[in-house]
Amino acid sequence: MTAVTNFIARKSGYNINLVGLCSATVILFWAIVALIAPMITPYPVGEIVDWDYFGPSSSAFWLGSDYLGRDVLSRILMGARFTVGISLGAVTLACFIGVTLGMLAAVIGGLFDQVLSRFLDAFNSIPSKLFGLVVVAAVGSSVPVLILTLTAIYAPGSYRFARALAVNINTMDFVTVARARGEGTLYLIKEEILPNIIGPVLADFGLRFVFIVLLLSGLSFLGLGVLPPNADWGALVKENISGLPFAAPAVIYPSFAIASLTISVNMMIDNLPKKIRDRED
Amino acid sequence: MNTIILRLIAERLGVMLVTLVIVSFTVFAATQLLPGDVAQILLGQAATPEAVAGLREAMGLNEPAIPRYFNWLIGLTQGDFGLSYVTREPIADLIAGRLQNTLRLAAITTLISVPLALSLGILAALYQGTKFDRVVSTATVMIISVPEFMVATLAVLIFAVYLKWLPALSYANEVTSLWQLLKTFAMPVITLTFVIAAQMIRMSRAAVIETLNTPYCEMALLKGASRRRTVLIHALPNALGPIANAVALSLSYLLGGVIIVETIFNYPGIAKLMVDAVATRDLPLVQSCAMIFCFGYLMLIMLADIISILSNPRLRT
Amino acid sequence: MTNKRMTNWTAGDDRMVEDAIRRGATRRDLMKMLMAGGVATMAGGTILGRATAAYASTPVSGGFIKVAGASSSTADTLDPAKASNSTDYSRICSIYNRLTFLDSSGAVQMELAKSVESSDAKTWTVSLKSGVTFHSGKSLTAQDVVYSLNRHLDEAVGSKVNSIAAQMESIRAVDDLTVTIDLASPNADLPIILALHHFMIVADGATDFTKPDGTGAFKVENFEPGVTSILVKNENYFKGNGVHLDGFEFFAIRDEPARVNALMSGDVQVASAVKPQSMRLIDSVDSIVALKNTAGNYTNMNMRLDMSPGDNAAFVEGMKYLINREQIEKSVMRGLAVVANDQPVSPASKYYNADLKPRDFDPERAKSLFEKAGVLGQSIPIVCSDAASSSVDMATVIQQAGSTIGMNLDVQRVPADGYWSNYWLKAPIHFGNINPRPTPDILFSLLYAKTAKWNESQFMNDKFDSMLIEARGLLDEEKRTEIYGEMQTMISNEAGTAIPVWLSGVDAMSSKVKGMQTNPLGGLMGYAFAEHIWLEQ
Repeated sequence: MTAVTNFIARKSGYNINLVGLCSATVILFWAIVALIAPMITPYPVGEIVDWDYFGPSSSAFWLGSDYLGRDVLSRILMGARFTVGISLGAVTLACFIGVTLGMLAAVIGGLFDQVLSRFLDAFNSIPSKLFGLVVVAAVGSSVPVLILTLTAIYAPGSYRFARALAVNINTMDFVTVARARGEGTLYLIKEEILPNIIGPVLADFGLRFVFIVLLLSGLSFLGLGVLPPNADWGALVKENISGLPFAAPAVIYPSFAIASLTISVNMMIDNLPKKIRDRED
Repeated sequence: MNTIILRLIAERLGVMLVTLVIVSFTVFAATQLLPGDVAQILLGQAATPEAVAGLREAMGLNEPAIPRYFNWLIGLTQGDFGLSYVTREPIADLIAGRLQNTLRLAAITTLISVPLALSLGILAALYQGTKFDRVVSTATVMIISVPEFMVATLAVLIFAVYLKWLPALSYANEVTSLWQLLKTFAMPVITLTFVIAAQMIRMSRAAVIETLNTPYCEMALLKGASRRRTVLIHALPNALGPIANAVALSLSYLLGGVIIVETIFNYPGIAKLMVDAVATRDLPLVQSCAMIFCFGYLMLIMLADIISILSNPRLRT
Repeated sequence: MTNKRMTNWTAGDDRMVEDAIRRGATRRDLMKMLMAGGVATMAGGTILGRATAAYASTPVSGGFIKVAGASSSTADTLDPAKASNSTDYSRICSIYNRLTFLDSSGAVQMELAKSVESSDAKTWTVSLKSGVTFHSGKSLTAQDVVYSLNRHLDEAVGSKVNSIAAQMESIRAVDDLTVTIDLASPNADLPIILALHHFMIVADGATDFTKPDGTGAFKVENFEPGVTSILVKNENYFKGNGVHLDGFEFFAIRDEPARVNALMSGDVQVASAVKPQSMRLIDSVDSIVALKNTAGNYTNMNMRLDMSPGDNAAFVEGMKYLINREQIEKSVMRGLAVVANDQPVSPASKYYNADLKPRDFDPERAKSLFEKAGVLGQSIPIVCSDAASSSVDMATVIQQAGSTIGMNLDVQRVPADGYWSNYWLKAPIHFGNINPRPTPDILFSLLYAKTAKWNESQFMNDKFDSMLIEARGLLDEEKRTEIYGEMQTMISNEAGTAIPVWLSGVDAMSSKVKGMQTNPLGGLMGYAFAEHIWLEQ
């Protein structure tokens, strides 16, 4: 493996470590699964194929059967589409919006900062469950609606954290110098602020990703988003929780799937090549 | 205390009042958007048009919603939260006991999780790249990757069902001794610590490391200051702002977000009260709960902002 | 080892064992019978332990237990008229009494009433037992009964049985212990109707139900809606055999795994409404027994006959053939169900039409019917929700069967919140959930008459309506059974309500809790368990 990392390092000029590479591989694996899932599921995702329930791993059902006797492997493979797709979409949108507004608020300051901050604070204090229910009642449910709802729930937190970081950087001498040079707001946030807060912002991105993966299952139980027979991974864990006392594969493997994805995303962020993570000299 | 802090507090409290009213109105409007009113929900499957009309009349719901909202608001200025539509009891009575329970659980969780999380996070930053750092970082991500309901259910299975060390349910009203208090709260507190500590650990680690990369910290390191000294004397004060914000966001979860823990451990807190209120369309109760969450949240972030300003001398001007 | 057992138990095993015990079979006979039937010894042992429990020991006094119900909110009430779920029923059953009640076989027994009589089924005379006192010390009089029944007619009360009570035209006290009830039209079922939970007798003039006054076996010591309730023994209870328990705490744990875990850890002694998937865990512990009750509760798929695609008879018939009832019974309910035949009168009822067989699962026949209706290839939405229990899983089973014949069923899971006012009775195809009702007349009037408030599929049939009125006033049981049998066939063939299975409820309890039996009004002995059970020391 070290040979591989060295090879990539020589070819690309990026210094990559083993943990980062493994994490990237896991993420890539799930991304591919998400794309080709319908082609590789051994059984239809909603079909009851085993008369037993919470069945053990066997040659017919590699990861056992769930609480109804459906094939867990097929359900996890199809679930990857929703968990990976929706979560990545939502977390990217939420962090992009939150961080951009946060930096803008820090750099522009004054009334803009005040109004935006107070507005998002107020928004953030509305319970997310109530918000979810209103969304379903008002516009119905679909995957884009789900992504936007999750974005709306998580963007204010991202804003607050990014703003707190950016405000500190904004008082630094090099920003004052740049401002004195007459640089525009866009230049300031892109060239001076962002590179200096990118580390914590990425860490925040990773955590928010985990939260979204987990919240997703809660929202599908509100009737928002992933519809039967499909289910996201969190929902798979939830619907099979009665199997926990027997350590049923139906509850263990979806948990592994969640952990493998969320840990990989966070480990990859922690182990990004220095060249990307750090402010350029 | 200098004047800028006092001014900020005064300003924030003013804004807070306005925000509270806006939030309560938004929540009121949101609940109006949901299908069914309290009379329909209470009658459930028996909600025939005549039955609903009769009950509405009897509950005084025939007055339009908006005037009812403003009447409630006017009552609130005199310290009167109004009557619950469902139980016909004063809302202040309904909330008081539940709020106390929630605050008790939140306080114990805070006392345990915040010191733990911050010391782990700062230590991880101090020893960045070492085995300790890797173990802490990986473990925290692993812990939050497990769904909260699974942590709680697993804890009950292990400690209550198999080992029989701890009760499976956490009653708030049966506590007589400190030992019993610890036993009753152990599982909810462990579960909640799992959920909120990870965010604080990772954010404090990231913030401290980022500050270490700023020119003045690099300068301090170049001048020969030890890493430990640089972290504690130079980096930490400057990272306090983001850390305080991360802590505030995590703690705000302890007010309204503990619904899963309240459900699994059957703990009568305010999050469950709010969920009930939304489900029964008990508008005055929904509005009151929303205002309490909002107030708690705004207080937390105001504290975070004050810490930010105090910790960065340049922000004080 | 237990992992390989396919279903926990089937309805057949259960009935066989229970019947045999009633006939006086010995334990060895039963084991032989079960082995012959192919039931694994382990499963057999559990069934035996459970089924014999109720017939074994003699009651002892004393003890305090904790009982976990399944639902609870700030809307919890001790007002019988407003009671809406098992939690409310369990509490009011221990605080108050009804004029009559139904025993475990479904027969009417007198409770507060000494007799309920009528010569024409229209004018009824209720004589009350003397010497019954309320918790407050006040004696029970006819005035209390008049007040209690009249409350249901006042819309401001918000009674759940307003529509059933509406047939009582006048309710008046004749003397201190006699009440006369005049009905709008003859109804021979009045004694059964009076056994419904909502018709509990409260004290004359009672309006504050936070501190209720009843005649029941327990007094309220503490009641916090949505949190808990503590009830203590009424030393002056009017029933001769007395109350066994010193008291009990009743609260709800809404999360089912948490409820089962609380029972396993000993934090509660009774856990109601256990899911089929938890049975394997409960079976594995000797100190816990389960009691199954198939009372006539069902979750049904409703196709509105006045809306597309339900307005096409071939489509409705096709959907009934597309339901794999055996799979729903075996896989979704794990044997805790009995296959049903698309009509609402349960096999436990003496009016059940046994000649009416459930439809076979026949996808090919469904396909040709769909082709005839011209709906094959269209996307047809089916609304389900966690509010109607097991409906999401049933919808998935039907959807999967549809996909094998090219029928595209679009399952839409909607929020449980607001389901009954927003989707139920309204969406073209949706699921409902109907609680057990003691008589065909109540079921038909509520669900299938032209004027029925809950006519789920908008079934309109003049002949059906006139048969309903005819049977209601009949005191001739044979003729009545015949009419009800024919009405069941009409519903099964013509209505848009597909009823796949009867759902069984399972309550699990510590093996020290004795005396629990099944009841046609629902789980926990029709929710009136508290005065009957005892705690073995």
